[in-house]
Order: sequence, then structure tokens, then C-alpha cells
Amino acid sequence: MSITAETAKAHAHDPAVLCCRAEGGITIEPANLEDPAIFDDLVDSGLLNLDGCLTIEEVLGAKLAKTCDSLCPLTADVVEGAKAPSAPVEEAAEEEAPAPAVPAVSAPAAAPAAGGVLKIHIGEGKDIDLEIPVGALGGGNAVAAEVPTAAAAAAVEAAAPAAALEEKVVRTLTRKHFKITDVKRGPETKIEGTTLYIREGIEAEVIADQELVKDFHLEIITPDLYHTYSETIMDVQPIATKEGDDDIGCGVTRVLDGVVMMLTGVDEGGVQIGEFGSSEGYLDENIMWGRPGCPDKGEIFIKGNIVVQEKTNMERRGPMAAHTAFDIITQEIRDVMKKLDDSLVAETQELRQVRRPGKKKVVIVKEIMGQGAMHDNFILPVEPVGVLGARANVDLGNVPVCVSPLEVLDGCIHALTCIGPASKEMSRHYWREPLVLEALHDEEVDLCGVVFVGSPQINAEKFYVSKRVGHTVEMMDADGAFVTTEGFGNNHIDFASHIEQIGMRGIPVVGMSYCAVQGALVVGNKYMQYMVDNNKSESGIENEVLGCNTLCPEDAVRALSMLKSAMAGEAVKAAEKKWNPNVKSSNVELIEAAYGKKIALVENEQSLPMSQKRKEKYD
Amino acid sequence: MGNVQILLRQHVGAPCQAIVKAGDVVKKGTKIATPAGLGANIFSSVYGVVEEVLEDRIVIKPDEEQKDEFVPIEVPDENDKLALVKEAGIVGMGGAGFPTGVKLGINLAETEMAELDPEINPELPAGFKLEHSYILINAAECEPGLEHNIRQIEEQCDKVVRGVKYCMEITHADKAIFAIKKKNEKAVEILRKVIADESDITIHLLPDIYPMGEERAVVRECLGVNLTTMQLPSAARSVVVNLETAAKIAEAVDEKKPCITKNLTVRGKINGGNAAHVFMDVPVGVSVGELIERAGGIDGVYGEIIMGGAFTGKSTELDAPITKTTGGILVTIEFPDLHGANVGLLVCACGGSEERMREIADKMNGKVVSVCRCKQAIENKPGAPLKCLRPGNCPGQVKNNMQFKKDKCEYIIIGNCSDCSNTVMASGPKMGLKVFHQTDHVMRTVGHALYRTLRVSKQVDQLPSGK
Repeated sequence: MSITAETAKAHAHDPAVLCCRAEGGITIEPANLEDPAIFDDLVDSGLLNLDGCLTIEEVLGAKLAKTCDSLCPLTADVVEGAKAPSAPVEEAAEEEAPAPAVPAVSAPAAAPAAGGVLKIHIGEGKDIDLEIPVGALGGGNAVAAEVPTAAAAAAVEAAAPAAALEEKVVRTLTRKHFKITDVKRGPETKIEGTTLYIREGIEAEVIADQELVKDFHLEIITPDLYHTYSETIMDVQPIATKEGDDDIGCGVTRVLDGVVMMLTGVDEGGVQIGEFGSSEGYLDENIMWGRPGCPDKGEIFIKGNIVVQEKTNMERRGPMAAHTAFDIITQEIRDVMKKLDDSLVAETQELRQVRRPGKKKVVIVKEIMGQGAMHDNFILPVEPVGVLGARANVDLGNVPVCVSPLEVLDGCIHALTCIGPASKEMSRHYWREPLVLEALHDEEVDLCGVVFVGSPQINAEKFYVSKRVGHTVEMMDADGAFVTTEGFGNNHIDFASHIEQIGMRGIPVVGMSYCAVQGALVVGNKYMQYMVDNNKSESGIENEVLGCNTLCPEDAVRALSMLKSAMAGEAVKAAEKKWNPNVKSSNVELIEAAYGKKIALVENEQSLPMSQKRKEKYD
Repeated sequence: MGNVQILLRQHVGAPCQAIVKAGDVVKKGTKIATPAGLGANIFSSVYGVVEEVLEDRIVIKPDEEQKDEFVPIEVPDENDKLALVKEAGIVGMGGAGFPTGVKLGINLAETEMAELDPEINPELPAGFKLEHSYILINAAECEPGLEHNIRQIEEQCDKVVRGVKYCMEITHADKAIFAIKKKNEKAVEILRKVIADESDITIHLLPDIYPMGEERAVVRECLGVNLTTMQLPSAARSVVVNLETAAKIAEAVDEKKPCITKNLTVRGKINGGNAAHVFMDVPVGVSVGELIERAGGIDGVYGEIIMGGAFTGKSTELDAPITKTTGGILVTIEFPDLHGANVGLLVCACGGSEERMREIADKMNGKVVSVCRCKQAIENKPGAPLKCLRPGNCPGQVKNNMQFKKDKCEYIIIGNCSDCSNTVMASGPKMGLKVFHQTDHVMRTVGHALYRTLRVSKQVDQLPSGK
């Protein structure tokens, strides 16, 4: 498509190709030129050969020597009076590039322009502007480019008054861990030592609780039973309760180690409760062990399989009824946990919400599903990942809800979970949310909070909520932001819009999503320059392996590093035109070199026994 | 002669209200309906008896004998030319149907040049002003295959020029320019002779590409000014009138004749060949079938009947009546059969609406799996007809072709102008897309080149001083 004067300026150094037939003698204008954003695909398909093609800045205002047809590359022999090319300016060429229409994976650092200046602005009332010649910092190639960030950060600390830089602990959350090694059925629900007993016959109460729940079976899956067939896994939840009247996110939380709640389900017609794939099959072939949202290998599953009324699997009330009914069992366990003697506490852990005045203030915006059906979340229940007291995201209108990092880690989200087993964030994911943990622990940034925003079904509503996100982040005076999303597809519309709304306010923003092949972004804007792909699967697809492509610590580390680079004004290379897993590995290497630490990468589905489904459909 | 059906809505605006009832005797020129808002008077086009007044039409049974004389229109002041135009019920006869009495109700001498959008007028200096005000006569006859407009220049040039001068007088325009395609050499020669001594009337020659008759294309070609899709020609101190409308204005002023007849072209798969049958002064309300019979009747099996042109017309039926805006009746050959193959539609402002494109895909037995819109097709208001930002100048189409490929189209049907069709062809076939144009079945029927690759220049040499 023809381009505007503004686009032509942004692409001054890109090849000039006629979008349409143009007659000899015309003066070449932006309207005559094709958008360089699509050239890669055209070159790939053999429709375009850019050899000898002049750049846009060279041809604008020059005369076309002879009539040329659409998609004709403008070479010296067809242009009269071409201008001399200018030296490409690093920032202009890379940072203003339009959003990639392909899987967006960017390098966190790029070679600084020769003789360029690294500009650092420190806010927080100190107003110190440092201009450090990049050459002085030794940055000459991509590998070294991360170093200036660290060096600059050190310089900042040295320059600012020490008093203002003290960490401030806003609040703490204590987790008391109780070890469970055995789960049995018995006449009453109780915990004796490290054995959890679940009352026999509790199934009838689960069925009776909700009209839409037609059948329910409880299974205790111990590690020796992992090779058991299961319907699709709807959710994995920690078993935790608050002490006394403590609110979520502060005080004391008791949690059982070694055991998780697992909800699975179908409708009466045998249709799996899921969308864009489902994880039914043998458990050990379909669970990506150790993902934040998944069970860890060795844990016992209290697995409830619910059958909901026919055809309510894709209605909102079906999954809601399943989750609500299943919580009857969890709640009975929670009630027992409240009475446990402190002598049974195996381990106590203190989570601290720390603010770091003077450091770059960052905010995490987590987009969660709000389209309805299973695409919903219960927000802020009374108990960790409970039901009572929570408000459904859809009922709240999907508007942004600000929470503290500790509320996230204390189970403020009961996830009804969205599309794609491999990319959905289940309740346990929030309990162990890696980006929140990394940002909270990173001494170079000041995490001010987490914003949850729903993803509505209708586009008009998507933009309604994304505009609220923009204002929310604006009034936080944040220096940088993360926008994460689970799933893929429809929600990428608002994902892009959230980034745009934050980006247009001059705030650098890193986007995190499963992209790769199947989740390739179909939307984009010029603020989507810093993207981290959560893909782990070998072939870049939604492989229906539970949790495979969700946000992991290695993604959080990359995102933090990228945001720091962006906030420091460093250039980040534009995404490659096609998904290339090597970009991630080279980024990881860069970060390891810059910070002198090893980043352990998680395994993917290739470490699991091959399932029939995977064999037939994917690998 | 069969019953005459006169539609109550033959113009832009609200339907008129009938002022006759069943059983009323009417003459040629009897006023039978008046506007209920924006609109124009409607008159009986025949002598006869009102048979029925329906919600959307008045049905008249014509007398056996039809005299030429008509009931003249009446206005309080016979010298008030604008009042005569209004009373005569004249609307834009090129097809748009905007009430002419409303359009001419402007004083162009006092109309200021509007601010132009610099993005689409890169060659004009900021604050560009036109010194003169203009009546631009649309004689492009842009829809391929139609000939009645050019025929009227050839046969009634004096009347048309008289109408133009009345338009200038009514609007206080100081110049008039005829926009006519250079290929119509005979008509151009006749026109040159007639305006030889008219110092304020000139000719602007147009290239033979589609679209040239789009109102803003006429303004751009004659005056070099690009209007936005929201701007009217008055933004360039001008009013665009179709030449047939100009002739109707002359009839209203000189003869007090109401607007009751229409010139049109009947063409296509007709017994006796595919040459154009031009019918002048056909009473409004006559059926499509009657006109096809007058031309010779349909020759065997056919694809569809189109009322209007190949690009912007709609499919119609034999018993449908013609209106003040009907320009063509086209009987086409049969459609090709795509056997349910995947089809993509490229909808633009210059061709059919998406609905029309879907109808054609359906008639070709194609399955629509993808719909793209030309980047320049602007929907000013939700649901409003599309308007092209730069008529006849392509914005590039390869991105749409890529989408069609992605959506697994085997065929695409395009409704684009000459320039855009050329662009589609530059990449579509190479990508493996088989391209049909919305007008193919008409072009094949009338023996016109298909809209594919553009081989003619958009530039034509002009007459010396436009004379």
C-alpha cells in the first residue's frame, strides 16, 4: 500500500519500490511508493528483487525516467535526479520501525551508533542528566552493549544522594509450608502428620452444589499413577488458606507442599472444556512439569473430574459452576489447615514487597482473559485461589484492577483459564508468577505494582479498557512497563493496544506473549519495539502440552533486561521477519555475559514421553 | 405499451408523496408526487389513468394514443430559472440523482475556496485559490458500453450548451468546462464548433480510463484540485452537472418541460448483435423488459440483466421500471462456473458494493472466503456508500493479494478502477491468484477489453486553449 510522508521519513533508508504503475516524467512522492514493511514476504515469494534498488530518501522528489509498473524497484536507471544517500542514523532506522507483523522477538541490545551518546535521565525529583559518550564505555558491538546499562546504573547510584536510595519494605507476607506426603480417603477430612485425608462421599456435595454439575469423580494421583488418562486439565491450584482475618497479600498464609488441586472436565456430550486445543490424554505426556502454573514432578494431584451440562462447556456458566463446585473440597481442606498446630510447619518463608525509591519505577500490566465462557478470572477471593468474595473479571467490565505484587503471589487470581493449554496461565501460575518475583527482587528497578486488565470479547470494549490502562500507567509516573498476556489470537488486539496506550505516553514498554509460529501477532503498532516471546516448544506452536509456552523465569529475566535497555534509551534490534529461536538464545547469552550469571533454561515437550496426539498432530 | 410504474424515490433523499389516487386521469406532465424532504417533483410521463398507488410507486395504465404535447410547469415568476429547474423535478441524470434545483442553489461567485488537504495535494502551494468559479460538465460517459451521453452531444449539442449557460447564470459561475474523453472525436469536433465563440466555455479532454466521471475526478482533471471524500465540488468553487441534466435544464427553462423522460443505452446479448441501442426520451416508468424488446429481445440464455453501468449498476428484473437516473440496461452472457472454489473479493469505491460483489461471486458459484477493501475506499459514515480518496490513482494492492493468498483464495473478484486493476495484476497472477473483474461478463458481452493491465496513459494532450 502507498505510504504517507511520515512513513516515508521513518523508512528513509529502506528500498524504494513503486506501489502502482507510474508514468514517466512524474515527480516521485510517498504516494507512489509501496510500504517497505511487506518487502520481506515479497522477496521470499520471488515477487520482488531489491538488487540495486535506491532508498526512499534518494528517490523522493526525483523524476521517474520512464513508465514503470506496480512493484517495480526504483533503480538508478529509471530515476533521474536521485539524491545522495545520508548515513543511516541508528535510532531512526531501528526504533521507529513499524511494529512487526511477524513473531516479535527482539534482541535486547544492538550496536550503538559510532560516536553516539548514551543519554540517561534520572527522575524522582533529582533531575540528573548524564551524557556518557558510548565510546568511553567501550560499547562497540552487540555483545558489549548490555554492559553500559550496568555501568550507567552504577554511575547513577554513585551520583545520587544515598539517603533517598534506601529500600522500603511496604508490607510482608509470610508463607507457612506444611508438608504432605500422602493423600488418602477417610471418614472425615483431616491432616495427620503429613497425611491428608479427604472425606469419603464429598463428591455428592460437589454435584449437589451446582445445578450444571452433572457428575463428579475424585482421584488421588500419586507419582506412580502419572500415566493415567485424564480429560482436559482446566486448572491447577495451590491449597492455601489465610490465618485469622488476614487479607490476601499480607499477614500469614498456610500452604500445603507436595500436593495440588487439579480440575479436569468435559460436558455431558464428552466435549472437552477448552478452546484451541485441550490437554486430555495421559497426564505424564501432557503436563510440562515445573512450569509456574503446572504441577511439579513428584507432587500428588487431588484431581476432580467434573461433567457439566451438555453444551455449557462453551458458556460462561459451565466452567464457573465447575470451579465453584470443586472449591467445596478445597475449602474443606482449608478449614482443616486453619486448625493445624504450628509444630507441623515445615518451612516459613517471608515475601517482602519492596519499593526502591530512586530506581526506575516499573509496572507490570497483566492482561487476563475476559471474553466469557472459560475465558474469565475470579479476582481477589477471600482465600488464596478461592471463590467466595471474588468478583469475576467479566462482571467487573474487564477494567484495570491494581493489585500489590504480594496479592498476586498470594493467589488473588482464581483462573478459569483461557485458550490453548500450552499458553494459558492457570491459578498456580500467579502464585509463582516469575516476572513479579524477578522484578520484586531486582535491585535495579522499583516495582510499583501490578495491574490486571481483562480482555473483552468486543473490539470497542478492548479499546475502552486499553485506554484506561494508558491513564492508569500515566498517573503512576512509571519509567517503564511490562505488558504480558496469556493465550493468543483475539487478545492480541488489546495486547497491542495496551502497549500503544502506554507507549504513546513516552513510557518504554516490553510486551510478553507466546508468539512464535502459531501465535504470530496479526496486529501491531510502532510502540511494539520490545517484545519477548514466551515460546518454549520446539516447533513454535501451541502443542496442547499444559503450560509449555507460559511465562517462565528465563522470560522474565530477558524482559527485565530489555526494559532496562529501553529505559536507558538503547536501541533494540527490530524483530526478524520470521520466528527464529536463535534470537532468544543469543539474548540469553548476552545477558549471561553482561551480568555474569547463568540462566537456567527450562525444558520443553521434547523431555516428555511422546503422546499419540503429539505424534499425529505436531511432532 | 404496458403499465408505467413511477417510483416515488428516484433521487437522493426521502421518497416523494403521491398526490393522485387510483382512477385519476393524468396527462404527460401532470404532477403526481411531491417531495417530503430532500427530493424533486415527479410527473406523469404518459397520458393515462392511475391504476394503483402503492407504497413505493404509482402505477399508470397508459392510453393507446400518446400525444407529444405535455402540461407545462408553472412557477410564480417565469424568469426565475432556478425555480423552473426545481419545479421541473430535475435530478442528476448521470445516475447520482441529487436534486438539481438544490445543487444549483449556490452563488459560486461568492463561494470561497475551501482549505485543501495538503496530503493529497502535494503539488499545490499552501493557500492555493482558484481565480474563477466553474460549471463542470460531466460528459465522461465513464461506464464502458454506454453511448447515449455522447450521442446527445452529437445530436443536441446546442441544447446542452444552452443548459450549461443557464447553470452559469443561476450559480454566477464565470467559466464552464466540458470534461469529455478524447476518444469521442466526432462529439469533440461538434462541441468545438458550438462553443467556438463562447469565450467562457472550454473543453478538457480525458483519457480513456475508468473512472473519469466520478464527481471529484472531474474536478481534479479539469482544475487540478484533489478533494477529500467529505468535500463537495463547491470546495473548488464549482458545480458538476451531467450533460443530460444540462439538456433537461434547457428544456425546463425554454419549453417549461418537466423531467419525464430519460435517455439510455440498451445493450448486450440482444437479438441482432451486441451493438448499443440508444433510446432518447424514453418515458420514465417504462419497464426494462419493454425496452429490451424494443432493442430486439434477449438472445437466448443470459447471465443477468444490469440496470446502470457495468461498474456501479445493479442486477434487475424484466418488470422493473426505469427512473430519472437509469442510464443503461445491459443483458449479459452467462457467468463462468467456479464449482464452489474459494473466492476473495476486493471491494472498492469504484465498483460494486460488497453486497453486489457477493451476488456476483454467488452467481459464479464461488465461495467467498475473504473480503478486502481497497485502502482508498473511504466510508464517510458507517453504512454510507464508499468513496475513493484519489479516484483512478491506485494506492497499491499487493497487501490485499497477500491476504487473499493467506485466506486460501483460488480466485479473486475485483471491482477496481483501471489503475488499481493494473496493480492487482502486477502481483496477483504471480502469486497464483486467478483474477476476475466484476465487469468481465459485461465486457465480454459488449466486446470491450477486460479490466486487467493498463496500457494507456493517464495523460492526454489537450486542445489549444481548451477550444
